[in-house]
Amino acid sequence: MSHSDYVAADAAWVSPEIFSDSVLYDLEQQRIFGRSWLLLGHVSQLPVPGAFLRTNMGEESVLVTRDRDGEIHAHLNACRHRGFQLCQQDRGVAHSFQCRYHGWVYASHGALLGVPGQATLYYNELDKPRWGLVPVARVDTYKGLIFGNFDPDAPPLSDFLGDMAWYLDIILDRRLGGTELLGPQRWRIAANWKIVAENHCGDEYHVGFAHGSNFPDLPGSMRAAPLPYAREIRPMLGHGVGVNIFPDEMTPEQLLATAGFPRPRHVTDYLLRVQDEIAERLGRQRSHMSIIHGAVWPNFGMVPIVNSLRVIHPKGVGEVEMWAYCLLDRDAPADVKQWLANQTTATFGPAGSFEQDDAGNWSAVTQSSRGAQGRRHPLNLQMGIGHEERSDKFPGELGLTASEINQRGFYL
Amino acid sequence: MNDRSLSRIIAVQQWYYHEARLLDSRRFDLWLQLMDQRVHYRMPSRAYLQQGDAADFSTWSVEREIDVAGSLPLIDDDLDGLRQRVGRLQTGMAWAETPPSITRRLVTNVEILDEDPQGRLSVTSAILLSKVRSGERVIFTAERRDQLIPSDNGFRLLDRYVILDDVVLASGNLSVLF
Repeated sequence: MSHSDYVAADAAWVSPEIFSDSVLYDLEQQRIFGRSWLLLGHVSQLPVPGAFLRTNMGEESVLVTRDRDGEIHAHLNACRHRGFQLCQQDRGVAHSFQCRYHGWVYASHGALLGVPGQATLYYNELDKPRWGLVPVARVDTYKGLIFGNFDPDAPPLSDFLGDMAWYLDIILDRRLGGTELLGPQRWRIAANWKIVAENHCGDEYHVGFAHGSNFPDLPGSMRAAPLPYAREIRPMLGHGVGVNIFPDEMTPEQLLATAGFPRPRHVTDYLLRVQDEIAERLGRQRSHMSIIHGAVWPNFGMVPIVNSLRVIHPKGVGEVEMWAYCLLDRDAPADVKQWLANQTTATFGPAGSFEQDDAGNWSAVTQSSRGAQGRRHPLNLQMGIGHEERSDKFPGELGLTASEINQRGFYL
Repeated sequence: MNDRSLSRIIAVQQWYYHEARLLDSRRFDLWLQLMDQRVHYRMPSRAYLQQGDAADFSTWSVEREIDVAGSLPLIDDDLDGLRQRVGRLQTGMAWAETPPSITRRLVTNVEILDEDPQGRLSVTSAILLSKVRSGERVIFTAERRDQLIPSDNGFRLLDRYVILDDVVLASGNLSVLF
């Protein structure tokens, strides 16, 4: 198989085999997850020296630590002696990690500190500096988010994010105090990672149908009607966002009433109170925008309209593990955070009114892609093709909501 | 066990069987009527964390692993939240339960831990919930910690805290009530 068997850029189709081909999956682990900047977490999850968390990069277990000097590191979570998974906890505080197989001990910055029998069994000949934990080649942060990349020659994180950073700032750079992350909620879905990621990247089309239970009064003819303020924007490099762009003359009150779901008074009051600060930091244009959904290539999805961030961890060709978080302004009052976190859970947690219905869709797509007959027939990505626009106000290419501009950016 | 405590535990068990039957027979409207106006229905998420002092079993508690600082619960509903959860099922577009899953709830290990002077009971129980959908079966097991208030028809549920035995949910979603 070659690239052109799987996708056709001009005709805008993909083969269903991309969801079921295990050879392709292995290549993805090397070439996509081995070379991309992947989301590891948020600095708020490592609040003190010694704090650590365990996550995944592709199928690799990774240990993310803050050392005694406050510096953030990421290493493969595997002892160099026999490869045993060094850290068995999801998070905590520790300045050293001891493997429970033979007892090798590592510092939180990755150096091998000591091994049992160093003098008696190894004759003091073990070259300890050579046997530290395998570092993730590059670790960097963007406005609180921690990313890692296995490729030492990868472009800088800022180049990788490209124009997506301009949109990410709308959720990450609202306030001087920055953001914090709650979670994760974790669940398995029997689906290929790409159908999940593409859905976050660009699929506004499914909302009126797949999530129709949330809009029971919407007439059938309106379920796929273009939304007045919403646009799909393709910042290139595989990233995608769906945004609301509100008219300049709209007041903050009108803007809040239009964006998102009904909220109690104390939450509205807080959001109004920080509008000036947001406008000062982001400028007038972006203070009149909100991000509905989006994805950073390859597997960092988001539904910022309900403050949900998620990482879609691949677990074999037909399985993912979803890690879902809630992103909040760090300096918001506790009762506002509480309500917003509850909204995230009630909509896009695993029992949420939206999220519940997604898993079955993604599993069904993955299931269909296994059939010897069905997988030979391509899937259509043509919505809005040839109607992409450019604007000097927004980096990237624009499509209607809905448009498959971002799915084409993701696959083709 | 004296007669009073015996009849009380039987009453609680019967109420749980009744509740399970309402849910398994998809009478979510009648299930809602078992809720107190002030009900709080919560399911924490769980993490793999360092155990307490290995030599001291009293520090090995489940509480260490749930609702830890910075975590997000899986469900956190008041009565409005539960009504919305049930109401959504009636739209015909709640695809995860349209058509409804085939479920069976087995409630066991019922133990009354405390009774306050007003008769409010603190009860722990174990639930095994089987869900069959699209030819696949998922099994959940959990502990439920409830606060029950006596009422004319048995009890009303004031508080439920569902501690799933999963750290990472194996099930794709959580579309069923515990």
